[in-house]
Amino acid sequence: QFEMIDMIEKEESIISEEEAAQYDRQIRLWGLDAQKRLRGSRVLLVGLRGLGAEVAKNLILAGVKGLTLLDHEQVTEESCRAQFLIPVTAQGQNRAQASLERAQYLNPMVEVKADTDRVETKPDKFFLQFEAVCLTGCSRDLMVRVDQLCAQHNIKVFCGDVFGYHGYMFSDLGQEHNYVEEKPKVVKPKTDESNDGPEAKKPKVDPNETTMIKKTASFCSLKVALEVDWTNEKAKSSLKRTPVDYFLLHVLLKFRTDKGRDPHPESFEADATLLRQIRDDVLEAMGLSSELLPHDFVSYCFSEMAPVCAVVGGVLGQEVVKALSQRDAPHKNFFFFDGMKGSGVVDYFGPK
Amino acid sequence: MVQLVGSLRKELADSLSACRVLVVGAGGIGCELLKNLVLTGFKNIEVIDLDIIDVSNLNRQFLFQKKHVGKSKAQVAKESVLQFCPTANITAYHDSIMNPEYNVEFFRNFMLVMNALDNRAARNHVNRMCLAADIPLIESGTAGYLGQVTVIKKGLTECYECQPKPTQKTFPGCTIRNTPSEPIHCIVWAKYLFNQLFGEEDADQEVSPDTADPELSWNPADTEARATASDQDGDIKRVSTKDWARSTGYDAVKLFNKDCLSESLFKDDIQYLLTMDKLWKKRKAPLPLDWLEIQKLGKILEVTGTGLKDQQVLGVAGYSQLFSRSVETLRSMLADKGDGAELVWDKDDPPAMDFVTAAANLRMHIFSMNMKSRFDIKSMAGNIIPAIATTNAVIAGLIVLEALKILSGDVEQCRTIFLNKQPNPRKKLLVPCALDPPSANCYVCASKPEVTVKLNVHNTLVLALQDKILKEKFGMVAPDVQIEDGKGTILISSEEGETEANNSKFLSDFGIRHGSRLQVDDFLQDYTLLVNVIHCEDLEKDVEFEVVGDAPDKAPTPPSAQEDKNVANGNKDSAEPSTSSKAPAEQDDVLIVDSDEEEPSSSTMDVRMESGGHKRKLHDAETGEASAKRQRLDQPLAADEEDDDIIALD
Repeated sequence: QFEMIDMIEKEESIISEEEAAQYDRQIRLWGLDAQKRLRGSRVLLVGLRGLGAEVAKNLILAGVKGLTLLDHEQVTEESCRAQFLIPVTAQGQNRAQASLERAQYLNPMVEVKADTDRVETKPDKFFLQFEAVCLTGCSRDLMVRVDQLCAQHNIKVFCGDVFGYHGYMFSDLGQEHNYVEEKPKVVKPKTDESNDGPEAKKPKVDPNETTMIKKTASFCSLKVALEVDWTNEKAKSSLKRTPVDYFLLHVLLKFRTDKGRDPHPESFEADATLLRQIRDDVLEAMGLSSELLPHDFVSYCFSEMAPVCAVVGGVLGQEVVKALSQRDAPHKNFFFFDGMKGSGVVDYFGPK
Repeated sequence: MVQLVGSLRKELADSLSACRVLVVGAGGIGCELLKNLVLTGFKNIEVIDLDIIDVSNLNRQFLFQKKHVGKSKAQVAKESVLQFCPTANITAYHDSIMNPEYNVEFFRNFMLVMNALDNRAARNHVNRMCLAADIPLIESGTAGYLGQVTVIKKGLTECYECQPKPTQKTFPGCTIRNTPSEPIHCIVWAKYLFNQLFGEEDADQEVSPDTADPELSWNPADTEARATASDQDGDIKRVSTKDWARSTGYDAVKLFNKDCLSESLFKDDIQYLLTMDKLWKKRKAPLPLDWLEIQKLGKILEVTGTGLKDQQVLGVAGYSQLFSRSVETLRSMLADKGDGAELVWDKDDPPAMDFVTAAANLRMHIFSMNMKSRFDIKSMAGNIIPAIATTNAVIAGLIVLEALKILSGDVEQCRTIFLNKQPNPRKKLLVPCALDPPSANCYVCASKPEVTVKLNVHNTLVLALQDKILKEKFGMVAPDVQIEDGKGTILISSEEGETEANNSKFLSDFGIRHGSRLQVDDFLQDYTLLVNVIHCEDLEKDVEFEVVGDAPDKAPTPPSAQEDKNVANGNKDSAEPSTSSKAPAEQDDVLIVDSDEEEPSSSTMDVRMESGGHKRKLHDAETGEASAKRQRLDQPLAADEEDDDIIALD
């Protein structure tokens, strides 16, 4: 039985020459220790559409131990154009399978696997073999269930999606996520006693010296984060500072649950109408005005925009790296990106 | 009714397929950018990069695999992209964008130019070309976790050169030669030593004790006297290292006798420094190494712990052995190359790196500094900027989003966007800021740009004007200079050979004096600059010229919106190619790191191009200061940062 402990066991083994050469530029950023932790981590990635491919690339390049690509869908003509791992000749194949070869080429030192099952059919114990799980294109219910399961076993959970020009990521690193932050060492300046002669240059304390500070962060579940109560006065007053993308997310997740797919350009009219209806329902149920999401919101949430996948995939990928390496403060707990405005905000939804 | 093609309106999607765009650089940002462009629907893309693939690129430049190491980045990038988008029309150039072939006409072919560069010289150049061609340019840069994107449109926004950028740090000669107080001083010294012994001789890179150190005397006249005296004195200690080498008749045995050389550098020279007792009144005096004693300590066992091999710090004995070994290797490499040969320092060349590691550490030990590992020294000596895939991925995504705005005709929606490591107090991780209008007195994009330069007309060579001032400082590639003397005397011609005879003359030889004006043209960049000359005889030591109006170089200023704009302008941004320690300086210890061989002037670059086999490091993403210094944590709201709460933007 696989036992999870708080600190991810880093392999004491030596980093090979090959790894040192290839990872040189990132080791110089996050340190050898972090790289070793990455090297000991297995990650599950669900969904190989545009966002999934970006996350896969980022994690494979970072040098995790293993990455499992899980996707039951087949490659269509559209999905060929949507991501860069699937060859144009792969139509009809399974998406994860089709992405495998190019994904592996990104970094032969990572064990990349493809799994063609539906994620809903996976038993609990399937998830327990990973240090981190990343869910894209999943239904709300599934994400909530997997998050609940994984948090119990101290597995880091990440969710993310891209809808047109908008995208989000969510993380649940558990109630007690330990990490370190590197801070410059504070050097007290010495007072110069003498006044005669040229200014003396004393041997300085190396200005680049740093120290590692231990910290802890606490995360809530996805369920709780999505079920924030907006009817009380305090919540209402914070509404002005709340990214509307949080509500957009609710609408899009509801659409996905109801229709079993995301809004599609081919059925733009019908989908747009449905989206507006869902908006009204969702916001009303929350006790909020449907004007929170302006009428034209439908124009910007169809399909996955490649550059938006790149931005969200970059932020999400880096969050996974931070969590696995236990280094640097994690974003808590949502990141919302609006590709029209170029704004990216981190905000917390959940209990104080 | 909006017709969508994927996520885009049909009109936009159609214009994407039709337009031609240029991507300058196929490295960290470039690979991500090419992928984003084709996936978004761009069809006609040209990409240019002069570099070849290195194994250290593979952690982020995902279009490349190990089997591609040594090949052209532009070429392999194209091939990789075609794998997942065979219908894309990509043209790859393994070339420098500063090649005159890429003239204004060339740039006019494109609707949009996107930079994915890592050095300022190329950025300045592309900036000018895009201004000349009146094509929108998207600029970007990354360093570690930080990044930024901005849009440059002639007449509408600031150009890349509107805001003065901090120039690269250099250190005064006396700090390097006499009184180092930080590891970086010792590393610079070691690199100078490499050049003195094996490489291109440079009068600004002397390593022997400096008797003209201003500190030795508070009386300037005294310093003058000493400097003159050292010229006349035949004492071997006071001549340049290269001259000393010459004086031994390049006797291989004597010159490269490891013990003889080492004794000289680490014992004799140090003992000489000790005689300059004024220097040591308030400083810890250096301790000469007893070289022969150290040799007797025998072979050092290298202990491997859990760290990288390169992260170990050896002892004095270890580094003395490393020094001897590397000198021997370099000596024979030099001999193999034949008469008049020179080696060029390269951080990825093991004996060259060993040499600097050893020499710098021995000097650090002598000056009571803790020695450093090869890993750390390589970072400093090689100006390495740490880099990861995700930062580049985010920035490249933002570039394409800005591109879409431009192509939709929504330039007023364009923004400068900063990527932070942590969200600011307003929760923003990505911070869009309004673009600034052009600066009225920008020396590049103003209607009749003009600058004023202080120098000594009697001892500034025409060559120095061309290389250090016009090319290095003012970013020109092929300047033509006319003196406004009523006769239109041509001082410098960009045509090869035409004014070569002038190079070794002084400006005053051509009647240039205080108040003279020079008209400088770079026809490739379609750029004319008027230079006003102020004659000055008391510039600081090691300073050849000063540009009036330049902010004096200071210690890193406290984080501010202004500086933040320059934060991640690229990996090479702060490693400006100033090969001399001649930048103006107010305080010794606030100066700029010496530029690196990684960034030679274009003429040297051409030579390297021809030497084949030799790897092009030029635009490898290395440079400047540690990104840690640039972290913008807890920033107050920048003056022009958008705040949706307060201002309704839509």
